[in-house]
Amino acid sequence: MTAEIGQAAIYLSVLSCLWAIGLLSFGLWIRNARAIQSGRNAVIATFILISIATGALIYGFVTDDFSMKYVVEVSSAAQPLLYKITALWGAMSGSLLFWLWLLTVGGAIVVWQNYQRNKQTQDTLADYSLIPIAIVQLFFTILVTGLIDGIYNPLARFTDGSVFADGQGMNTLLQTPLMAIHPPTLYIGWISLTIPFAFAVGALASGRIGSGWILRSRRWMLFSWIILTIGITLGGNWAYQELGWGGYWAWDPVENASFMPWLLGTAYLHSVMIQEKRNMLKLWNILLITLAFQFTLLGTFITRSGIITSVHAFGGSGIGGYFLSFIFASTAGVIGLIVYRWNRLKSANRLESLLSRESAFLLNNWLLVGLTLIILWGTLWPIISEAINGEKSTVPEAFFNKVVIIPGLLLLFLTGAGPIISWKKITANNFRRMFLLPLVIGLIGGALTWGFLALIGYTFPLYSVLCSFAAVFVVAAIFAEFYRGAKLRAKRQETSFVNGLNLLIQRNKRRYGGYIIHIGIVILYIGIMGSKGYFLLEAKSMTLGESMEVGKYKLTMIDAFEKEYANYLRSGVIFDVAKSGKKIGTMEPAIHNYYRAKPDEEPTKESAIHHVGMNDLYVALANVPRDIKTGGVVNVQAYYNPLIGIVWIGVAVMVLGGIVAIAEKSERSGGA
Amino acid sequence: MKKRSRLKIVAASTILLGGMAFLVVAMTRSTSMRYFTPAALVAAAGSADDQRVQVDGLIAEGSTKWDAANFKLTFAVRDRETEATVNVIYEDRLKPDNFKDGGSVFVEGRYDATQNLVVATKLMTKCASKYEGAESAAPTDEISYTSE
Repeated sequence: MTAEIGQAAIYLSVLSCLWAIGLLSFGLWIRNARAIQSGRNAVIATFILISIATGALIYGFVTDDFSMKYVVEVSSAAQPLLYKITALWGAMSGSLLFWLWLLTVGGAIVVWQNYQRNKQTQDTLADYSLIPIAIVQLFFTILVTGLIDGIYNPLARFTDGSVFADGQGMNTLLQTPLMAIHPPTLYIGWISLTIPFAFAVGALASGRIGSGWILRSRRWMLFSWIILTIGITLGGNWAYQELGWGGYWAWDPVENASFMPWLLGTAYLHSVMIQEKRNMLKLWNILLITLAFQFTLLGTFITRSGIITSVHAFGGSGIGGYFLSFIFASTAGVIGLIVYRWNRLKSANRLESLLSRESAFLLNNWLLVGLTLIILWGTLWPIISEAINGEKSTVPEAFFNKVVIIPGLLLLFLTGAGPIISWKKITANNFRRMFLLPLVIGLIGGALTWGFLALIGYTFPLYSVLCSFAAVFVVAAIFAEFYRGAKLRAKRQETSFVNGLNLLIQRNKRRYGGYIIHIGIVILYIGIMGSKGYFLLEAKSMTLGESMEVGKYKLTMIDAFEKEYANYLRSGVIFDVAKSGKKIGTMEPAIHNYYRAKPDEEPTKESAIHHVGMNDLYVALANVPRDIKTGGVVNVQAYYNPLIGIVWIGVAVMVLGGIVAIAEKSERSGGA
Repeated sequence: MKKRSRLKIVAASTILLGGMAFLVVAMTRSTSMRYFTPAALVAAAGSADDQRVQVDGLIAEGSTKWDAANFKLTFAVRDRETEATVNVIYEDRLKPDNFKDGGSVFVEGRYDATQNLVVATKLMTKCASKYEGAESAAPTDEISYTSE
């Protein structure tokens, strides 16, 4: 019965979306407050209806209702409760429902925030923005009704009325806590991008294209950025721990699909500051947020349509066409609005000099958008190459690794140069006061790195030297910013330096939160440089008692073990880890054999990771033979990943900075 | 003065965009590899010999040999539609997770036409999340083993 109620709720929400779109448009057109209110209520109604549908599906999982198609597909009676619930987004139609539900939460929050705000002022911007939100909701609602080809209703039962004794269960690789939170985190990040996009459309529709819409949607954007940062990193961390190939990023189409909106969002967070400060780039900002939103759909299209083959098994599911149509239709809509409002989109100011804060922002934007396009190019290369010469080609990971280095290093330099260069035009005084010392310190840092790398045998590590130079420069520049600001505050308020620092950040959380993010970026870069540039990989077939060497480390296989757990058998080996002859620990890589694995599921590799400071030793096994104790051979792959721990720290600092920045409540204009 | 600075801005943007475009084209040229199904690769053997290629197919049933002592994996990739197969050798690397007879596999490596063999540098099996189409979602025979 609950499943039927859920299905009915989905059908009804088609109506509530239409109601919201119709009444809001009509009400705003004829300025009828009651019609507008009715439209807002419909947005809330959609939220309630989709919550009912989602709740009904979760109920189906929890009660093991194996008459439901979707429950059979991704759940099973023995699946732990947590994974029964996360099965909600374990396959396509459920994840679309989940996506839709998050979107309705977003819509409801916009209505709520608007209600709070309208106690003081009457402003229709949010009401205009609810229309695009409802349109996107309508699109997803139609997808999950099951009325169109390619996707079935997640609440549907088997048409022939069959009831299975048990479900197929979720893939065992996904049954880890990280995988329970990684997909929803990314979804939340993507979906919250819809809101600033909707505000941009609302601004165009209402004709108020000042910075009002940006101020209103700014925290949504930051929220989205923080969540995307976390979500992408969780995915990398999961791959590192679970997949046994020793890396965290492989430029897979699905990874790229999550990374491109992040890059565009980052560009947007910077370019809006110019609009606030100098009233420039109005059109650009609208295009940028539109692009960021469209890239979340494009990502879905790329990964779900089957046009790009990826390691993530999506197959040609036939829904790609709907996404592509929606992307075209909504982009056309935005372009139409832009043409309609063309006169109001002109900049009030012009760029005055090539060396100014404005151009630093602009360069940042060009590079970020450029990187996005490069990654898109590489991701779509199979299609592009087929169109050009009739033959499908692909580019490997190496393409991306090589092509992002130079724009990436320029961007790194900008994270330090941007905050200290003066507005309008750089002056000799500005250069001397702000740039000279950080540049000198940066050069020393670069030289030291060069010396160190030469010492351990790398003769001409150009990119590492440049990266270290830029990194040290940025840290010096930003610390100097904090130092100068804190000292000034302390002097003015006649208090200690620490208090001054605290006051400085409290008074301008967005700006200094941003600088903390920049420090996080530097840390991240150093981690990527070390782990991508200097990792060591050794592989060896070994029997008990043998050892292998990875760099300065020696791994000796001393024992094997087998242990039974609730739903899997863990078998593995024990390594003694020694550095320069001294034992520093043990490692226990293993294989998990799930008792209830499906025929297409292999045992999973559980790699062992041993941290030595920020560096990791990483060992994975292919198999643990039955006869291991009597001379059976184990295949071992061992990595030394220098500075990889710094990658996670860098991201943590970025997220921390984001949280500081998002704490700035006021809608006042400010920032860097 | 105004004019000159605008000119400088235009010049700088052109250099930046041109540089990025050049980088992309150069890197695409140097790293791009042709993508084949096993049938297409066998058909194009002559032109693909000694080139880096990517092959997308299924792991042929019963073809997998895992030589643990020498850390060597050999198997054949079968075409999804025809009977064509291409042999693959993959050394000194772990077998990826989800490597199973009949499973999807991408092979990257250099093709040797005389032996119909790809010396693989990278293997990818389909990863875990199962966003298949609607048809495969209706469990029929595959589910029967759990309901017994």
